[in-house]
Amino acid sequence: MTEITRDLISDVEQFYFREARMLDNREFQQWLRLVTTDVEYRVPVRYIPQPDPKKKETEAFLGVEQELSQGLEPDFRKENFFILSLRAMRAFKLNSWTDNPPARTRRFISNVEVLPTDQEGCYEAYSNTMIYYSRHQKDNHTFTAQRKDLLRLEKGELKIAKREVIIDWNIITGPSLSIFY
Amino acid sequence: MPMDLPLSQLVSDDGSHVHRKIFTDPALYELEKQHIFSKTWIYMGHESQIPKVGDFITSFIAETPVIVSRAGDKEIYVTINSCSHRGVPVCRADQGNTRRFICPYHNWTFNNKGDLVSIPQERKVCNKPEKAELGLKRVPRVETYRGLIYACMDENVEPLTDYLGGMAWYLDCFFDRFDGGIEVIGSPHKWTINCNWKLPVENHLGDIGHGPYLHGSILQGTPQVQELEDTGLNVVPKPGHGLSVRLMPEGTPDEMCMFGMDGVAGMDPEVNQYLRESHKKVTERLGEVRSRLKPLCYSVFPNLSFLWPNMTLRTSHPRGPGQIEYWSWFVIEKNAPEHIKEKLKIHYTMMFGPGGLLEGEDAEAWSQQFSGSNIDYADDRTYYYGLGLGEEESHPEIPGKVGSCFNEHYAREFYLQWRQRLEQGIQETSKLEIK
Repeated sequence: MTEITRDLISDVEQFYFREARMLDNREFQQWLRLVTTDVEYRVPVRYIPQPDPKKKETEAFLGVEQELSQGLEPDFRKENFFILSLRAMRAFKLNSWTDNPPARTRRFISNVEVLPTDQEGCYEAYSNTMIYYSRHQKDNHTFTAQRKDLLRLEKGELKIAKREVIIDWNIITGPSLSIFY
Repeated sequence: MPMDLPLSQLVSDDGSHVHRKIFTDPALYELEKQHIFSKTWIYMGHESQIPKVGDFITSFIAETPVIVSRAGDKEIYVTINSCSHRGVPVCRADQGNTRRFICPYHNWTFNNKGDLVSIPQERKVCNKPEKAELGLKRVPRVETYRGLIYACMDENVEPLTDYLGGMAWYLDCFFDRFDGGIEVIGSPHKWTINCNWKLPVENHLGDIGHGPYLHGSILQGTPQVQELEDTGLNVVPKPGHGLSVRLMPEGTPDEMCMFGMDGVAGMDPEVNQYLRESHKKVTERLGEVRSRLKPLCYSVFPNLSFLWPNMTLRTSHPRGPGQIEYWSWFVIEKNAPEHIKEKLKIHYTMMFGPGGLLEGEDAEAWSQQFSGSNIDYADDRTYYYGLGLGEEESHPEIPGKVGSCFNEHYAREFYLQWRQRLEQGIQETSKLEIK
């Protein structure tokens, strides 16, 4: 198990801040270099289940997991490197009407927590993201989500091998969940 | 009339001109709720979502919240989600299984049929309330077609199969295609779009014309687009309903007729194999003509749509004239292998649903169209729906009126149906007032 040092935590934070700056600057092609080619990128649905009486009085009663799509249930997004690339590349086409004109975004990353895993050079990392999203003249929205990442060191550089984005909406009231979180 | 224009000026007699106000006017929206959503069959969900006794989902008829539940007698009941006592919703979940719906305010308790079973406070009063009269309000008509659950607030509505008419022949192409039937997996994806509810429906009725342009960054120059131009037809099986299909010529090899699956998913060898296998039984189940039919998109009046290639059912729930709550489900052959379900599920979410690449572009167009419809100064410029006017005719092989893939008769018939139902509703209401 890899030891979690203050340097490592600082590296992960800097990695996330750099990632956020890239995405806000619309450098999506460069962003693709921050993910592994076997990346698993997932945005589950956050639905409202009927409370389970068997779980009452326990923390499982309010467990977030039971609100998320699982198994064969369709997530909002479940993507590999190919689909992420398609999104990244498409934004730069003249006739990509959801990106032209592009959204103005500002990402705020906080609550970074780095945890060890069994695999050498792999870390689990939690972070919160708040994304201010503004499109056209005044189509303004704020997305918030928790990110659960698996980060992997490849040739000494941190990369995202897995990302799960737990959004905080039941009904999506923003114009699109197509952005990179 | 709350509007200063008669309905005949909002939709021209041939349907080729549609006034901008029909997408924006609040008074018209009230009439739509009264004379369309309260009078026609509205899609609630699929039977596979509530297979067991006690299963329920929540849904809407326009803005009216309902509970759709499977009661002890195995029947489906649709009840208004509002307590008879003080109006509080008795169900707060999207889906689940329960024996009782309990109002949080005073604990009035209802069973899955909506019958009131207990009032805690009645133990201290002498005049016992008549519980049989205090159940949740029930939507009087519930019927299913091939697992599609429909409800109607009008007790005297025609049977669902009559309402669907010739659309049933086309619905069967998917909903009766497989021996084990189809299933809806998971709770619906839900998101709001700032557009009028009719626009997404119109799009799925047969708007092939937008594909290579609005979706140009993905679809332009693909073989699917060419195939649509070569073999695509817009069909109106009954005024109000509509669909787009590709009818492949006789003798077309099976691999060109499979399932109507397009693009990336069909390129996957495992999916391709599945489609080939599944196609073998189609002629037997649906006949030779439908084995060459590759449907693309459907809409059933007023607000259900189905997008075949990405296997998604969707409803456009109005929230005023300028907003919808769009709900979208993934549907698939029930007996398909798990790895195929997994792959096709990703094919759905990659393109459709709130994070879908194509869906985002559609939502963009629909919401921008709403802005355009609000320009009062342009009210004298009606929207033109005249492409292919009068060119649609009956077809030797498939039912309904059939036009070329860019013929807009699907929209003309939809808006004429809309106008006719409002005119009829207004007329009936005024008769009631005179009495």
